[in-house]
Amino acid sequence: MEAPPVTMMPVTGGTINMMEYLLQGSVLDHSLESLIHRLRGLCDNMEPETFLDHEMVFLLKGQQASPFVLRARRSMDRAGTPWHLRYLGQPEMGDKNRHALVRNCVDIATSENLTDFLMEMGFRMDHEFVTKGHLFRKGIMKIMVYKIFRILVPGNTDSTEALSLSYLVELSVVAPAGQDMVSDDMRNFAEQLKPLVHLEKIDPKRLM
Amino acid sequence: MQREEKQLEASLDALLSQAADLKNSLGSFIYKLENEYDRLTWPSVLDSFALLSGQLNTLNKVLKHEKTPLFRNQVIIPLVLSPDRDEDLMRQTEGRVPVFSHEVVPDHLRTKPDPEVEEQEKQLTTDAARIGADAAQKQIQSLNKMCSNLLEKISKEERESESGGLRPNKQTFNPADTNALVAAVAFGKGLSNWRPSGSSGSGQPGQPGAGTILAGTSGLQQVQMAGTPSQQQPMLSGVQMAPAGQPGKMPSGIKTNIKSASMHPYQR
Repeated sequence: MEAPPVTMMPVTGGTINMMEYLLQGSVLDHSLESLIHRLRGLCDNMEPETFLDHEMVFLLKGQQASPFVLRARRSMDRAGTPWHLRYLGQPEMGDKNRHALVRNCVDIATSENLTDFLMEMGFRMDHEFVTKGHLFRKGIMKIMVYKIFRILVPGNTDSTEALSLSYLVELSVVAPAGQDMVSDDMRNFAEQLKPLVHLEKIDPKRLM
Repeated sequence: MQREEKQLEASLDALLSQAADLKNSLGSFIYKLENEYDRLTWPSVLDSFALLSGQLNTLNKVLKHEKTPLFRNQVIIPLVLSPDRDEDLMRQTEGRVPVFSHEVVPDHLRTKPDPEVEEQEKQLTTDAARIGADAAQKQIQSLNKMCSNLLEKISKEERESESGGLRPNKQTFNPADTNALVAAVAFGKGLSNWRPSGSSGSGQPGQPGAGTILAGTSGLQQVQMAGTPSQQQPMLSGVQMAPAGQPGKMPSGIKTNIKSASMHPYQR
């Protein structure tokens, strides 16, 4: 049930296919402060934004071998904000010149009864986790530095434990398909974070 | 004939200007060395050397230029030697050569090296010829090999000392952590459907594990867990294989669980 590759899909209706360009890296806890300082200097000038989110990943097992994955995310520290439903396609491989991981991306804001709706549709929750971290922006680039917490008792977001001693650093851009200059800008930005963090395109299939 | 004369004059002028530039830079370098030697830094000495080498290069280029006639074919013969001061000569040489006499001419109009130098050169060439071509080749090869060995040693030392110096500061990230975190975000590796064998909260890996995986459908799940214990076995085995640390088994664990979960709603 994977969506067909973007190049085959015609632009029908009102939405343009958005692609997410992604670079990932990590930083150890003790170097977090220096990274935050550097990001505050490099990124747009705004109040440092922290977030505490709870993300649940739902799978729909169809007749095909690979299940359809949807991600539902809600904010735990900002009451009243809508839930965020996201679909991420398979990464488009093959182009060695492209410096970032590129995948099809659909983002939808929903109301709070999202999980019930997904259950009724037949989705089952595969895993969930809590993320806590900082958010920075530079133009259209979004930089997130966050720690992943494993949820020990399902459904109870208070009992969590950190997954590792590092923070995950993600540099992402959501842009219409075909704009590959974006990945050059991302790489230039990643160069500026160089000895602290190595942001690179990591293929998740390699880590399975 | 006239064209050649013009060429000669033009090339002589070029040569003269190049030589003057070279003289100036040499002069400034000597001045720097003599007067500022305590403040002198190695980069500035290198700069001066680079300047000199550049100027020598341009001089060579001027000489090799196709429009330059062969100076070898021109001969300079002193016509008159006198021990008297020559004002013209003084002016032209900026006061350095006051007299065109017997002492000055051999140095200035010299075309061959000193006799002693010539002797030494001749000796060196005979020595070289005496060794023979094979031995000479061998010597050349051993010299090249020693040079490359030395270069390698130096570069290795440099690399090692650099990384050694930076190592205490360099650990700002851990690539293994990066992979673990990316895997967790991408497909949930290490998250709720794993139960590490050493963690405190999971005395019975089977039950809480199955409960977590089927956590979404709470009411229906309890019926299913009670009513189909036989189906629990593949689930249990799927979860218990996980702590063994074999990532290859994990996806099959997920599929098994999802299959058993999706079978129940219409079988009730």
